[in-house]
Amino acid sequence: MAVVEEPLALPSGESPVARNPLGAFARPRDVSGLKGWLTTVDHKKIGIMYGAAAMFFLVIGGVAALLIRIQLAAPDQTVLSGDAYNRVYTMHGTVMVFLVVMPIGAAFANFLMPLQVGARDVAFPRINGFSFWVFFFGGLMLNTSWFIGGGADGGWFNYAPNNGIAFSPSTGIDFWNIGLLIAGIGSLTGSINLITTVLNMRAPGMTLMKMPVFVWMTLVTQFLLLFAIPVLTVAQILLTSDRIFGANFFNVTQGADPLLWQHLFWIFGHPEVYLMILPAFGIVSEIIPTFARKPIFGYPFMVFSGIAIGFMGWGVWAHHMFVSGIGPLSVTAFTVATMFIAVPTGVKILNWMATLWGGKLILNTAMLFSIGLVTQFTIGGLSGVSHALAPSDTQQTDTYYIVAHFHYVLFGGALFGFMGGFYFWWPKAFGYKLSEKLGKWNFWTMVVGFNLTFGPMHILGLQGMPRRMQTYAEAQGFGFWNFWATVGAFILAVGVILFLVNAFVSYLAYRRADRPDIGPDPWDGRTIEWSIQSPAPNHNFDVDPIVTSVDDFWHRKYQPDESGKIRKVHSGEELAQPGDPTGVHLPAPSYWPIILAAGLPITGYGIIFNLWLAIPGIILTVLALWGWALEPADDLDPGPAGTDDDHGGHGPGGDHEPELETV
Amino acid sequence: MTDVADPPAETEAHADDGHGAHEEAHGHGGHHASLGLSNMKLAMWLFLGSECLLFGALISTYLLSKARFVAELLAGNPRVLETLPVGLAEEFIEAGSVEPMWDIPFTSGSSFILLMSSLTMVLAHKAVTEGDYRNSRVWLAATALLGSTFIAGQVYEFTAFYREGLSYDGNLFGSAFYTLTGFHGAHVTGGIIMLLSLLVVSFRGKLRQDRAETVELVGLYWHFVDVVWVLIFTIVYLIP
Amino acid sequence: MADTTTDTQAHAGTHADHAVHPTEKQYWIVFVALAVFTAIEVALSYGGLEGVQLVAPLVVLMAVKFMLVAGAFMHLYFDLKILNGRLFTWAFGGGLVLAMGVYAVVFAAFRFQV
Repeated sequence: MAVVEEPLALPSGESPVARNPLGAFARPRDVSGLKGWLTTVDHKKIGIMYGAAAMFFLVIGGVAALLIRIQLAAPDQTVLSGDAYNRVYTMHGTVMVFLVVMPIGAAFANFLMPLQVGARDVAFPRINGFSFWVFFFGGLMLNTSWFIGGGADGGWFNYAPNNGIAFSPSTGIDFWNIGLLIAGIGSLTGSINLITTVLNMRAPGMTLMKMPVFVWMTLVTQFLLLFAIPVLTVAQILLTSDRIFGANFFNVTQGADPLLWQHLFWIFGHPEVYLMILPAFGIVSEIIPTFARKPIFGYPFMVFSGIAIGFMGWGVWAHHMFVSGIGPLSVTAFTVATMFIAVPTGVKILNWMATLWGGKLILNTAMLFSIGLVTQFTIGGLSGVSHALAPSDTQQTDTYYIVAHFHYVLFGGALFGFMGGFYFWWPKAFGYKLSEKLGKWNFWTMVVGFNLTFGPMHILGLQGMPRRMQTYAEAQGFGFWNFWATVGAFILAVGVILFLVNAFVSYLAYRRADRPDIGPDPWDGRTIEWSIQSPAPNHNFDVDPIVTSVDDFWHRKYQPDESGKIRKVHSGEELAQPGDPTGVHLPAPSYWPIILAAGLPITGYGIIFNLWLAIPGIILTVLALWGWALEPADDLDPGPAGTDDDHGGHGPGGDHEPELETV
Repeated sequence: MTDVADPPAETEAHADDGHGAHEEAHGHGGHHASLGLSNMKLAMWLFLGSECLLFGALISTYLLSKARFVAELLAGNPRVLETLPVGLAEEFIEAGSVEPMWDIPFTSGSSFILLMSSLTMVLAHKAVTEGDYRNSRVWLAATALLGSTFIAGQVYEFTAFYREGLSYDGNLFGSAFYTLTGFHGAHVTGGIIMLLSLLVVSFRGKLRQDRAETVELVGLYWHFVDVVWVLIFTIVYLIP
Repeated sequence: MADTTTDTQAHAGTHADHAVHPTEKQYWIVFVALAVFTAIEVALSYGGLEGVQLVAPLVVLMAVKFMLVAGAFMHLYFDLKILNGRLFTWAFGGGLVLAMGVYAVVFAAFRFQV
């Protein structure tokens, strides 16, 4: 069916409708400016928005952390009252886990997964936009509790019966429940999207075992999300029912067992921590080979250990409950399971080290942060192994030893890995590199600050300092290390600020130099996202890349010569796709994701404060669903060439009547 | 040569972005399924997989709550006793379970109706794939009708229980029972809305053979909701 | 009860290989089986059995009904025959097995005596 003259010729032979039959539902065509961002369905823009939102929440969580450290810097302080302290550490933990680490993982997953598998976008672009907005609005809603609800105050894992109305009468925990319920919808829909994309939309020749390690790690992460979020959802529904509708799920006087909350929460919670670290493992598995100039050591082992972590992560949750009275049989079983799960992680650490060994190391900022993850995660993992043993954990649990452990793995591990990822992929996203000089300052300040803050906490924990205590007495002797931990926290804050400064300064330098083209492959990379221009063009690949091996791009640049020696035969610039969007059709932007996402917090506020308010929220949600379903699959008029609306003479054509089930 | 660039030869079924199972060695479209499966169907199965965790948690919560409730009753806990009318409490204690609450014949009828709705659902899908649009509408309407009858039955059952003295906020058993069956009912209601939407689309002539997958997807959701009821019926009503 | 395989091939545009599709008669048979099993379950519950003797057959019948709906109505059995169709079963089955395993452990860890 030649469609040269009739760009939108329909298979049935009917002529295309000249004007949009449903004017009210016309899709926006503008991809620039604020409206472009609000209505985007482009996975790269969505990934950047996830990252920017996470940075915003990082500042909030970080300020909360500094408040904690100020309060604890010396004994018997009253900077924060007991109630205020409860709110601060609860929100610190909640914000950092749900609104910083998870979204940064989502940022990298969204930006990179389609690029690294050679797709043009995710399987369901509008749902992708919706996932972001619903996360963002849920997070915003959660944080409005500081002003109108008093802030959640039950700790980030919010145990029953303390989380009930009797012991936490303010609406803070209701905000925690509903804000996270809403944000969780975003994670769930996002996971379905990314799994479908990776399984079903890979470039020709890219079998599963030729995908980059990062894609594998984030694929496992998406499966963890898919199955873990519903469990948290149920726990939060039960709690909301108790608090707002008078149910009795955690009502001890009626015979309820508060352990139900703990089980449900940690069945979610343990996979949760694996899904926080796995993307960072994936990032580091890309950076280290690139700057060691060697392929990752043991690619199949990296893949299988990631899968093993995903599986085994489901069997260890009650190690968070060793002292809750579940009985010796359960405790023993979970001890054994938890010790086993250290094995695949150990495999990864060894493989990274083996990749570094004998490589021609380039110690730029991205590489430094990656090595930082390997080192610091190992330290955190070692304390984790001691937690796995129930007898030792009985002393360590709920002390600062645990606080040290999880900060080493989450901050020293995941966040350091993410920082490396920012430095590494910044040119691909924005077209310029971050300053290496500032980057080194950024890195070393963070290393010093981080270790000074959390290293001593091991000691404090073993000395018996409990967590979540507003203050401590002089006589307990915790003052010395707490003071230095506070000093470290401020140094760490400077380090984080240096990153933001770097982003700003580097951008200005880029502008002042008149936006020089950094080229597609500034790092001499290995995977196919380096085979397109920087910043990545809207349409990703001009033509589908054909993949023949792991690290396909590398192997096309470096090939054995007659004597068998590997030589660079092509540069990245020579091989890269020029960025010509002719013949490309992209999904059009849409209003409905953000509108649908807005309906949910309105309903949420209604559930918390006044059910009448929930009604407009529900109406908005339902109308948005209809609008979404009725929206034309693509916009009808092709725009100028080179923009997102260029249909290139042949769109997916076909039906232009409203479809019921479009993506 | 801008917007009339000559496209490569693959012009087959691009009608649905992201659908279809054509391997393109060189594509401009970018949407090609590496596994030969439909994106939307895969997404629906993934979603149903996650729903297993959701309903599993609700069912487990119900079983635990019910067990604790019965244990407390048998131990004579006054706070639990005062949440029930005397007669009902005595029946529970004598039976050692919550069995006296149920009206098994009625609920069996409801179950049968829901099972029948699954049958009409597959027949509706079959009709669409065969291009028999009139019958597809009949079967879709029948499915929606049977589903609504099921919901009506649930509502009747809930009001009956409430009148007999089982409230939502009284005790563990009430909270858990109404939450579990309420969530299931909400899922059924969502399904009915989707069925009615399909009917509307069909009446406007737009639910055609090449769109049969949409019906299949709604069907998958509908059967899942039915399967959850199979579990609930046995676990909640039949097993003491 | 027409054989629909030719029709199936006729609209194979968006469905990869629909090798087998149940006939209408087969759907009705499945439904009758489901109804019969339900009736047996109800009869069992009135039968005066106790404990494992009651629960075991009920659970078995429940599982059978589950597999009938999933395999026939939800097409999973037939999807096994198409390329990569097993993935649907794994996506769903994975969630199912995970749920059963995880919640069974929760059960085991709970104490029911007051």
